[in-house]
Amino acid sequence: MIRVQDLAKHFKVHKRPPGLVSAMRSLVRRTYETVKAVDGVSFTIERGERVGFLGPNGAGKTTTLKVLSGLLHPSTGTVDVEGFTPHKRETRFLEAITLVMGQKSQLIWDLPPAETYAMNRAIFDVPVAKFDQTLDELTQLLDLGPLLQKPTRQLSLGERMKCELAAALLHGPTTLFLDEPTIGLDVAMQVAVRDFVRDYNQRHESTVLLTSHYMDDVVELCPRIIVIDHGRIIHDGDLRGLIKQMDPDKRVSFTTTDTEPDFSKLGTVMKRDGQRFTLRVAEAEIPAVVGQLLGPLKVVDLAIEDPPLEDVLRDMFGKAKPP
Amino acid sequence: MRYLRLIGVQLRISAASGMAYRSDFLLEGFGTIAWMFMTLLPLMVLFDGVEQLEGWDRGSALIVMAYFMGVRAVLVGLVSPSLTELTERIRTGAFDYVLLKPVDAQALISASRFEPWKFLELVGALVLVVYAFYSKGTVPGGGDVVLGAVLFVVGVVAMYALWIACAASAFWVVRLDNLQYLLSAIFDTARWPVQVFQGVWRAVFTFVIPVAVMTTYPAMALLGRLDAQTALATVGGSLALLVVSRIIWQIAIRNYTSASS
Repeated sequence: MIRVQDLAKHFKVHKRPPGLVSAMRSLVRRTYETVKAVDGVSFTIERGERVGFLGPNGAGKTTTLKVLSGLLHPSTGTVDVEGFTPHKRETRFLEAITLVMGQKSQLIWDLPPAETYAMNRAIFDVPVAKFDQTLDELTQLLDLGPLLQKPTRQLSLGERMKCELAAALLHGPTTLFLDEPTIGLDVAMQVAVRDFVRDYNQRHESTVLLTSHYMDDVVELCPRIIVIDHGRIIHDGDLRGLIKQMDPDKRVSFTTTDTEPDFSKLGTVMKRDGQRFTLRVAEAEIPAVVGQLLGPLKVVDLAIEDPPLEDVLRDMFGKAKPP
Repeated sequence: MRYLRLIGVQLRISAASGMAYRSDFLLEGFGTIAWMFMTLLPLMVLFDGVEQLEGWDRGSALIVMAYFMGVRAVLVGLVSPSLTELTERIRTGAFDYVLLKPVDAQALISASRFEPWKFLELVGALVLVVYAFYSKGTVPGGGDVVLGAVLFVVGVVAMYALWIACAASAFWVVRLDNLQYLLSAIFDTARWPVQVFQGVWRAVFTFVIPVAVMTTYPAMALLGRLDAQTALATVGGSLALLVVSRIIWQIAIRNYTSASS
């Protein structure tokens, strides 16, 4: 279980204008500004939940994950992860969590992943039998077999990420912080990582807090999402709730054979691609609009969808003002 | 127990890393052997026409040189590569993974890189000790050998403490190549008996940057010339350095802000 109350993390950052004169001046006298990376965040995550953490670059997602995993001291507020205060970095806490950072690697570059795993076994003091069993399970779930003995530097990005996940999970953590675990991966590999995280969560009833720039990761994996912008939470709930709250209208897409079509009376035309249209229609008007489209207007390939999450978020982040 | 097993695994993995590139590994070995002979050259030249230098004859000065080689073997074989690795991890943010491990970060990083060839200098140092006593025509007493061995460890601890204190500053300044070069240049003076230096320099090399603790005093112990008071001061000074370096490290860790994602 994760409990965060009024968490804030502020950094003092040196600031100077460009140019040689200001560079020389900054040697003598420095000006600093306080950056509020996280500014009063509160939430609770129950054991076994999968939660997506969304926000634009610099919103405070990674900083929050680093505070939760004990890498950074909070400026103010309280944080409790599985009954521990993270920044105290107690042994039992570090054994209970893991942090996977898609842009950083813990694998030893010149050696096969098996060597990193051996090192982590020694560090976490995992008994040999338990280690073998966990590695077997991870090898099977992530299809690591052929990769274990290949030097890390010869692995593809996707293969390396699978090996990173295994390295992060060998000690059997119950809370997983995943920071952009699918970054740079192709679609097939993204799906593989996603499936693995879901499977691992269900097998071990582990808590997962995930950040990702790929909306599909969040849509597929996380029944609950927390949206953060300018260091503050602007939504905490399920995905449908967020979409409904931000943009309750549906998207109706179809293809028409009409040579001079005019659908402006049915809804707002959001997109036209040749004979393919997408209309924005209020939910209450859907039956009437669909009746029209399938009846007199004779359209084909009709689809009714929620607005894409990307659009909803873009709209949301555009509206949110810095504090 | 966990730490002992961990150090074992780290040494094995570092050795394997060192052998990952075959030509580099062989060149490294050749370089180490060449360096050992080059180290002795200035001393040989100096004592070519001189019998004694500030109370040190050639054989005794060779013992200081042997200690220098021994401490240097640990420095270039283990401490320096590990701490270079530390600065690199701080710069890239990969140090996060060190802090996420349930073991002491200083212990984990201090043995993170190991260059096996460099330990050949330890063997070279032992051979040099045997040769020095042979050329002097004497044999060290049993007590002197024990004290000499203990003070070797004490010297290594002092060197480690200095380097860890220097490396800890990487948490603030990130790039500290120049500081490491300066420290290496100062350490180079440890190849000479501290008595060779006069006035303020002798005080600096004894108390400020105690290279005397690393080589001269241990060598004097092995030669049976070190009084008990200096021996105790050597041990105390080295331990004090270790404590100070540990405090600097802990303050540094608290200042770690982690590189951004």
